[in-house]
Amino acid sequence: MKERTLKWILLCLVCFLPIAMYIHLVSGQIEVSFTTFYRAIVQYDSNDTIQVLVREFRIPRLFMALIAGAGLSLSGMLMQTLFKNPLAGPYVLGINAGASLLIAISLMTGIQFFKSNFGLIGTAFIGAFGAGLLMMSVAQRLRSQISLLLVGLMFGSFTAAFVSIIESFAGAESLKSFSMWSMGSLQQVEFSQLGPIIMVFSIGLFISFLLVKPLNLLVIGENPAQLLGLPIKATRMAVLFLTAVFAGMITAFCGPIAFVGIAIPNLTRILFQTTNHRDLILGNVLIGAIFLVLIDAFIQVIEGYLTIPLNALTSLIGAPFVVFLLMRKLK
Amino acid sequence: MITFKHIEIGYQTTLLHSEEILLESGKVYALIGRNGIGKSTLIQTMVGLIPTISGTIFIQEQAIAMLSAKEISEKIALVETRFEGVAFLKVKDYLALGRAPFTDVFGRMKWEDWEAVHTVAEALGISHLLEKYTDQISDGERQLCAVGRAFVQETPIILMDEPTAFLDYINRNTLLEILVSLAAKKNKCIILSTHDIDACLDHAVPMLFASSGKIQLFSTLSKTEILNRMNEKRPEQSF
Repeated sequence: MKERTLKWILLCLVCFLPIAMYIHLVSGQIEVSFTTFYRAIVQYDSNDTIQVLVREFRIPRLFMALIAGAGLSLSGMLMQTLFKNPLAGPYVLGINAGASLLIAISLMTGIQFFKSNFGLIGTAFIGAFGAGLLMMSVAQRLRSQISLLLVGLMFGSFTAAFVSIIESFAGAESLKSFSMWSMGSLQQVEFSQLGPIIMVFSIGLFISFLLVKPLNLLVIGENPAQLLGLPIKATRMAVLFLTAVFAGMITAFCGPIAFVGIAIPNLTRILFQTTNHRDLILGNVLIGAIFLVLIDAFIQVIEGYLTIPLNALTSLIGAPFVVFLLMRKLK
Repeated sequence: MITFKHIEIGYQTTLLHSEEILLESGKVYALIGRNGIGKSTLIQTMVGLIPTISGTIFIQEQAIAMLSAKEISEKIALVETRFEGVAFLKVKDYLALGRAPFTDVFGRMKWEDWEAVHTVAEALGISHLLEKYTDQISDGERQLCAVGRAFVQETPIILMDEPTAFLDYINRNTLLEILVSLAAKKNKCIILSTHDIDACLDHAVPMLFASSGKIQLFSTLSKTEILNRMNEKRPEQSF
């Protein structure tokens, strides 16, 4: 593919993002005009019911769709490059499971790791990072790409078993809040939490761009990359850390969202036909954000008739796509 | 350039050992020995990926174990036995990765970096492959690309693990010729492991010979001597 074609695709995506956001704004039960949207952020009037609804429900939901789509895709891309495995992702490698386990412990047993507003993010981050380290150490003992995925799925079942044991001891109240969380939803964030979430995401995105050169080197394998001057251990830690920040934060606020992290990076790579991570980072952020915003817009449209959990819908689309990738690869 | 000081190498048990050996710049050395004798292990040890069991390898008077990844990348380039190609990685971008030790923190290529890539591609006759993807060319073409990636790195030392394995008859001879003239012209030290003994004899390259668990350096060996040495059993196997 010519570099100019790639620039055109990127430009189209940049133009389409606001359109997708607009579709999201007009697809809900109450149609939100730009003026209401703007006023609800800048000139907020808490006596106006519509403005309150928009500020407390629609705006956080839209922004969480953007950030969750972009962040999960980025974290999937990072893992696929680090593990040199196009089928890696935060969900299949048990990163979500690690975060879920610690969140289940903290929501249902009363053992709180952190008390502040960032408590949930911190808890999910530790779970995600721990699972990432575990997968990294397993990956170094495995040769086949498929075995790593099997280990990831086993780890997922293992933590799920732990979670159900905790559930059987939990009280009705905490059990309800946990099962609501585990369905995956973009509606649990308040307007006041958006600022810190956007800040953490932006810092993560900035660090991703600093890692462009190491990521481009990792494409040809760890040993060759090391012999081209890459400090391999530090790189591994930085990439795992970043993955855990994205996947952990999003899992903490939106619950587990399956398959976005594995499907979007592959879609981006097939569409862009490059291994240059400068372009891949941009592509994953844009395509991931657009994808989840449109999915959530669809959920909003049919909400009057039927409520589909977000996690169910992304799995419905993502699982067949992953099977398609597997069949293309394994034949 | 490279000095072995009474080294023993291997993963857990010693595969090969040597007395003191000095490899000079401006020369091509052929690393010869039978399958499984430890040639690849020696090469991995020389780039610092595996530690020596005892003894020290010195690169320009510095012990390899003391060098950082960055310092090694400025001194040694390695061509691995098999580069399998990466989906959506173009040959030109693969060659460009060889400039990693020279580019800035974002890996941005300057004009002279691309110049180096094109010069090498021309010398190896792979200019027509530059726009192709590395997983869509033949094994031999890929091997030439891997050699090119090492040349682009512009290091004083180049190690190659069987770089001629997938090459056709013409390319084998051309590659060896290119290596000999490159070593002489740019004063590089090039070591390649190979089973292509005839070509080594034709170009009269000195041989780093691995047999009976021992590495020795010979400036000339006849074909009969080579065969005799290869048929020697390792001492512990001869009971």
